[in-house]
Amino acid sequence: MRGGSMRRSLAVVWWVVMVFLYLPLGVVVLYSFNSVNSAATFAHFSLRWYHRLFSNPQIIEAFWHSLLLALISSMIAVVLGTLIGYGMYRHRGRRLGWLIALIYLPIVMPDIVFGISEMTFFVRFNQLTGLLGPGLGTMIIAHVTFEIPFVALIVYSRFVGMDATLFEASKDLYAGPVRRVCHFIIPAIKPALISAFFLSFTLSIDDFVISFFTSGPESTTLPIYIWGAIRKGVSPEINAIATLMIGAVAIAALLSLALSRRRSASRQ
Amino acid sequence: MTQTTAQADSPDTRGTSTTPEYAAPDAVPRDASSISLRRLRKSFGADAVALDGVDLDIRPGEFFTLLGPSGCGKTTLLRLLAGLELADDGHVEIGGRDVTEVPPHKRSVNTVFQSYALFTHLSVRDNIAFGLRMRGVGGSERQRRVSEIADFIKLGGLIDRRVDQLSGGQRQRIALARALVCEPDVLLLDEPLSALDAGLRSQLQVELQRIQKRLGMTFVFVTHDQQEAMVMSDRIAVLNDGRIQQIGTPREIYEKPVNRFVASFMGHENLFDIESREGDCIDTAALGRLKVETPPHGELVMIRPEALELGSEVSSEFNRFEGEVREFFYRGSHIEYRLEVNGMRMKALSSNQGQRLFRIGDRVPMCVWPEDLVTLAR
Repeated sequence: MRGGSMRRSLAVVWWVVMVFLYLPLGVVVLYSFNSVNSAATFAHFSLRWYHRLFSNPQIIEAFWHSLLLALISSMIAVVLGTLIGYGMYRHRGRRLGWLIALIYLPIVMPDIVFGISEMTFFVRFNQLTGLLGPGLGTMIIAHVTFEIPFVALIVYSRFVGMDATLFEASKDLYAGPVRRVCHFIIPAIKPALISAFFLSFTLSIDDFVISFFTSGPESTTLPIYIWGAIRKGVSPEINAIATLMIGAVAIAALLSLALSRRRSASRQ
Repeated sequence: MTQTTAQADSPDTRGTSTTPEYAAPDAVPRDASSISLRRLRKSFGADAVALDGVDLDIRPGEFFTLLGPSGCGKTTLLRLLAGLELADDGHVEIGGRDVTEVPPHKRSVNTVFQSYALFTHLSVRDNIAFGLRMRGVGGSERQRRVSEIADFIKLGGLIDRRVDQLSGGQRQRIALARALVCEPDVLLLDEPLSALDAGLRSQLQVELQRIQKRLGMTFVFVTHDQQEAMVMSDRIAVLNDGRIQQIGTPREIYEKPVNRFVASFMGHENLFDIESREGDCIDTAALGRLKVETPPHGELVMIRPEALELGSEVSSEFNRFEGEVREFFYRGSHIEYRLEVNGMRMKALSSNQGQRLFRIGDRVPMCVWPEDLVTLAR
């Protein structure tokens, strides 16, 4: 009977967690379809806030900024992070303790510290050289910087999981350095590159703190716009943006799940 | 100099007779496929000497085996031939050309790896085509050669499978096809059968040997299994501690080992110290005075277990002694006895001809012919 009560209390914990996780999301989604501007009453179903949303040029612009920032920074981060991951793999036998720690540091460092230090650096750099004024450029640099460790670690663990003899087999089969990269290394780590890209993309889209400190007046992203708008109170418009973002993330997650299902199914 | 050795030694031709399913006669070995190693040294750090001055000549078209326990340097030697390691000192010549500093992708040498090392991101067909593709062999030519090798190795439907759908034995064949399709001067095989079960293993031993004879390609095979080495090889080099202990045909290595290490590694247990010698006689503590055929030159005498004759009708007038049966193992084709002779253990193998078997505790007269006694170095 002890087992039974244990199981019941675990079930309670499960449901409490679920409620705290998903109820607020449900409320946001529900109120985005509210016909009146009220957080207290739900009048009837309406797409009014979505119309407002799509006719707001600031929001459209912020959306494009977010997308551009995420795409460009993820692509650069995948290239640089892959090189670092490969370097870590190639030199894994040596003592690289503190170098590896340097890679991990941005992951554990609080975003706010990271954001402020990037900002200080860019401002000073701008004062000295006149280059890198705050804007999409500085944001891309900052985003690439915090995405690289994730890419490097994903790629590194893919290399570690591979049979090391494969590198030798490719050399043995007449692949010189360039062909080795094109015909063996990149195809072999492709799944890791794709997931590293998606992770970077999500991290970038999601980021507020670092973007906030490195953005300029002309480079407002969606999270920054929302933060600005919310100071005037949570409008149903924000609910609509949030609902769209939830939908986009859900679709992306389902897609990647379906992709990996199909891959493992074809492997059977 | 290498060229002349290569041409002087005509290759073994024993494979011609017993390969009915291969219609074509054995290919003529190419001169390009000779190997010569000079004073080859390789160490990994100060106390890890993998190869300690190896000199070795391998003839074109030879099935040559590097045999030894793990850590003896045999795999390092193979990797130096492949170019996957660089020698600290000495020279590697393949086909008379010095390739000591040549990177692996520029050597006409291919390897069948112990783990097979098949590319899981490629299909079986693309795995086999990989080397040709990297060499810039064009599409239709590549297709033709892949199909040819698939027929030759009898891959059948395997060619359209995914690598992760294959069993160990199937992977082994794909790895072999992938290396052979490049038509290298030398094929290197790093314990390619060690991961397979016994039945498949002996089947592939025969098959590998046939393929090698059919192609006339130089095979350098690494193994720690002396049975496998004897079954497959034209010649064997036994290695220990980074040095070659003995080079010879399987028969020479098994019947006339030059030292205690080679004898023990080939499974010989009946080794006795020579106390003193006189003419063609030697004295041992365990077996007393023994007559040998040739004047003894070493410090040890070895008796092959199958050279011991057991029973009262022993034929030799020399070298008679008596032992007590301590254990016996019935092995079907022969019977293995463990006997005690004057406090020393001996192993005897007698072939099963339906004779009466001895039992534990029986005192058994034994003898050995002088020509079956081998004296060897410590």
